[in-house]
Parts: sequence; C-alpha cells; structure tokens
Amino acid sequence: MNMDTLAALFHGFAVAATPYNLFWSLVGVTLGTAIGVLPGIGPALTVALLLPVTYGMEPTSAFIMFAGIYYGAMYGGSTTSILLNTPGESASIVTALDGHAMARKGRGAQALATAAIGSFVAGTIATIALTFVAPLMVKIALLFGPTEYFALMVLALTTVTAVLGDSLSRGLASLLFGLALGLVGIDLQTGQARFTLGISELLDGIDVVVVAVGLFAVGETLFTVARHCFETEELYQLKGSKWLSREDWRRSWKPWLRGTALGFPIGALPAGGSEIPTFLSYLTEKRLSKHPEEFGHGAIEAVAGPEAANNASAAGVLAPLLALGLPTSATAAIMLAAFQQYGIQPGPLLFDNNPELVWGLIASLYIGNVMLLLLNLPLAGVWVKLLAIPRPWLYSGILLFATMGAYTLNNNIVDVALLWIIGVIGFGMRVLNVPVAPCIVGLILGPLAEQQFRRALTISQGDASVFFTHPISLALIVIALTLVLVPTVLRWRAARQASEAANQAANQV
Amino acid sequence: MLKSANFRIGETILGLASLGLGLFIGVETWSTPPIAAQTVIGPGLFPALIATGLILVGLQLLCEAYLHRLQAEEFPELDWKAVILVAAAFASQLVLLERLGWIVSGTFLFAVSAMAFGSRTHLRNLLIGLLLTALTYLVFDYGLDLDLPTGSYVEDLIDLAGGSV
Repeated sequence: MNMDTLAALFHGFAVAATPYNLFWSLVGVTLGTAIGVLPGIGPALTVALLLPVTYGMEPTSAFIMFAGIYYGAMYGGSTTSILLNTPGESASIVTALDGHAMARKGRGAQALATAAIGSFVAGTIATIALTFVAPLMVKIALLFGPTEYFALMVLALTTVTAVLGDSLSRGLASLLFGLALGLVGIDLQTGQARFTLGISELLDGIDVVVVAVGLFAVGETLFTVARHCFETEELYQLKGSKWLSREDWRRSWKPWLRGTALGFPIGALPAGGSEIPTFLSYLTEKRLSKHPEEFGHGAIEAVAGPEAANNASAAGVLAPLLALGLPTSATAAIMLAAFQQYGIQPGPLLFDNNPELVWGLIASLYIGNVMLLLLNLPLAGVWVKLLAIPRPWLYSGILLFATMGAYTLNNNIVDVALLWIIGVIGFGMRVLNVPVAPCIVGLILGPLAEQQFRRALTISQGDASVFFTHPISLALIVIALTLVLVPTVLRWRAARQASEAANQAANQV
Repeated sequence: MLKSANFRIGETILGLASLGLGLFIGVETWSTPPIAAQTVIGPGLFPALIATGLILVGLQLLCEAYLHRLQAEEFPELDWKAVILVAAAFASQLVLLERLGWIVSGTFLFAVSAMAFGSRTHLRNLLIGLLLTALTYLVFDYGLDLDLPTGSYVEDLIDLAGGSV
C-alpha cells in the first residue's frame, strides 16, 4: 500500500516539477510571503485576496500556486509577528511573545532565521506525514455514511467555536451567523430559494471569499482606522549578524522537532486548527527549558517550537481538507471554496478522480518549502522593507484589493455591496471581541452539513436517533459535547471559586 | 466605570442582533409555503434549527449583559469620524464603480481612506491610487481576461472622443 503511495507521490512530482508548474509554485510562494508579511493580513486573507489571480488557470496549476500561497503566507506571517508584534492570526500570537522580545534586543534576525528554518523542518516532516496519512484517512472516510459525516462536521464546528476566544456565547453567535449566511441561495435538494430577499444574484448563495475578505480585510481596516490614533507601532530593523550561532542551533533543533510532533497530529485531527499546538509547544518548551525565566523576554526556544508547530499543523489541516473535504481553519475554509470554484469537491473521491491534482499539490508542498527557505533566509531584509509601508497606503491598498476581489468574483456590484455590509458587521465583531473564524467555517460547512443531515434522515426515514445509534457518529457527538461542556464547567467553577475567595476576603475585612 | 457600561451596551447589541436574526429566519421559514416535492426532510428544518440556536444565544447574551457577570472587559476607544469616512468612501463605490470605472472610483477610494488614516499628502495619495488602479486594470483586463469596469460614463467619453477625431 505504501508502494502505491510512493508511486502516486512520484507521479505527483512529475506533475509539479514541470517548468510551467514550477513557475506557478514560485509565483505562489513569493506572492504568499509578500502579502502574508503585510501587517493585518493573515494567511486566510492572503489566500482570499489572491484567489482572483488564479481564475482562468487550469485547476492543477492553480492549486499548485495555492499551495505555494498557503505555505508562503505562513512564513510571511511569522515575520510580521516577530518584528511588529501584530500577529495576523491567532496561531502566531505565541510566536509574537518571544519573537518580538528578541527583536527588541536586536536579535530579530535570529528570531526570523529560527522561525524560517523551523518552518522548513516542520513543513517538510509534516508534508511527509501528510503524504502517508491522507491516503489512510481516505480509507477510513470510505466507511463513513452521511450520518458519520454529519457528526464529524458537528465536531469540527464545535471545536472551531469552543476553542477560540474566551466567551462561548460569542463564539456560538459567530458560528450561527455563518450558518445563517450559508442558508442563503437555492436549496440543493428541492430547488427552493431561501432567504434571497428577491435579489437574483443571491440565488447562488453568498461567496465565502466575500465573507472572508469582508470580515478580515474591510472589518479589520475599519477597526484599524478607528484605533490608529490611539496606538503606536514599534518596528525593529534587522542589524548585526544574520546567522544563527552554534548556541542558537543547539537551542533550536529540539523545539523544532517537538513542535512538529505536536503540530501535525493535532492539525490533522478533524477538530484541529493551529492555536492549540502552538500554545502546547510554548508550554512544553518552557517546562523543558533550562532557563524558563527567559521565556517572555526573548527565549529562542519559544520562537522555534511554536513556529514549527504552526507550520506542521498547517500541513496537518490539509489532511482532513483533502481526504474528507473538511476544513478546520478559516484558511482551509477558503481553500475549500477555491476547490468548489473549480467544481471540485475534496473528499475520498478526489484521490480517485483527480490523482494528478491531489498528488501534484502534495508534491508541490515539498518543492514550495525548499523555495521558501531559499526565499526567506537571504531575502529577509527585503520582506522587512514591506513592513515599513506607510499605514495609510497599506490599508487603502487593502480596501482597493478587497473591492477588486469582490467585484471580479462574478462581475457584479452586488458582491461589493455584500462586502460592505459584511465589512461593517466584521468591524462590529472586532469591537465586541467576537471571533471571526467560526463564522467563516460555519458558512462553508453549514450547507455541506445540511446535505449530510438530510441524507442521513432520508435513509433512516426521518428517525433522528440514527445519530446516536451509529457507534462512530455517537462517539464523535460525545467528543463534541465534551469539548463544549468541559471548558464551560471549568470556567464556571473558576468563576465561583474566585467569587467565593472575594467574599471571604470581604468578610475578613 | 464608563468602559464597563459601554461594554454592557455592546453585549446587548450583540444579543439583540442574534435574537433579531433568529426571529427573522424563524418567521421567514414558518411563512414559506411547504414545497410539494416528496422529501422526508424539507428545506425548512435546518433553518428552523439555526433560528432556534440564534434565539437561544441571543437570550443568553442578553442575560449576560443584564446580570453583568463578565469580568470587566475593555471596550476600545474608537475614532468614529475616521470609521464613517472610510465606510462612506467604500459605500460610494456601489454607485461609482460601474459608472466612473475602476480607475477613477478606485483612486477616489484610495485617497479618501488614506486621508482618514491621517495622511496629508493628498496629491501623492491620488497619484499612488491612480498608479495602483491603472496597473491592476491593465493586468486584469489584458493579462488575466477579467473585467474590471471601464465605467459607462468613461466609455461614453471615449466614444465621444473617438467620434470627433
């Protein structure tokens, strides 16, 4: 079986290594890094903004370019969080902690280097793991019926919601808003139009790209303009030696490997994401370090580990995306939307129907990683220059490209209007501290979940107990419930203890 | 003190928004006549579930706001004038984009939003906006076969100029 995988991978390299596809891969990693570096633009937005560039390309090349953009944006994001302390997405928050502290001490170049090499090591190992795990996942997926798929999606939706942010009700509000947006359009099974408000352009549904760009780009721009006169940024230039000393290497290589070991498996779980592994990696490194007191003040381990974990989980997330059609992060949700734009539905059948595309994409991940290492180590200084773009121009440019992305989706102004509305809502969410990712994942998974839900109930002739009598489905739903209930109970107990302690303190006084 | 009061208002808005959206979806689903197609599960069940969820979450948020059980979270200070300026410039695209075309309306958007961000070099902003829009117009309309609008008024002008030559 492994021989089959190797043969398929080998074939993938034959597809990815043609000069034509190598060129698109290079364009992808370069654009991905360049856009990902810009402050305020995380990987999800990078992929969404660059989507129009691939229209008109044939799918295999387009996805090879996408793979490059995806990995490139991950590399670029770490540069921003280290030098500017404005993490573009929640997974780089941990990198920003010590990375920025290193930059403040004049060790920015070393922080960037350990992040880049760590990303390369983690990305390569995790891509190898993806190569072998994805076909296994396909085998498991073939055992799944609609009931199990629905339960799996419920699990994915719950983790995205329960894990992010600190208020469950806010996460749920965001998720349900996304699910509600997903309802708009023609119902696939009966052809009935739902919630289109009489606007014919809405019959096709609301595009994930419009929502992602609206929430991330327009919402973020409005929030930044509202806050910019209250905040100051500190950008640290790179100075001194660019290279890692022997000491830096010695302190980095184990965190890279441990970060990878945490990042890939958690990312590959259908309920994964990259926030948990980066936090876990930080905690692990802090516990194992000989100098835990340096953590928070520029410990190189605290950049090497989480950054490796972040990249490994980015590769891991691709496993459920390709094998099950299940996105577990905002970025993956947009990648799924990109697939759908080409009329391709990722999932077990994709490996049979479209092996060139799947294996070409996986092979291009290996190639892209090497390109990124070469691009990032010597050219770090060039990317840093991008950080110095004056903010008025940067954000005005983001708005411009957001408008362009929305308009070119279907060449109509309705998408631009939607972009504006969603952008204003996104601003409100940002102000009220409502997480955005549940909304995007809900929008893309909602319609898929509904289809499986109705298929499952059609097979069982309306008997809703199927979700609890099929063992796999029951197990998945129990896990989902545990994920919601345990943190809620813990939080409730912590709050009660805190209030009791406060009462006691008050009584003593 | 003021900050936490502000935040309670925010929580209330969020709760009301969820509640309102839930009620809207619920009423809309309820009032849509059932379709004749023979399906076990109609197109109304899933929306009804989502509506229920939204209403419950909305009530929960209102409860939280009313009981004020959250730890004092910070409500950020906001420069509303700048937000409204950017939002208005963006909204103007809905009218301008297809009439004046990508280059003119995009340049306008760029310059106004740069102004909202505190930039005072208006002429330079206009030039950069013009450069960006012209470049993307060329790349998209000629390189990638995508249509960024030329603008109906601009096309009329070009026709006029072409006709008079």
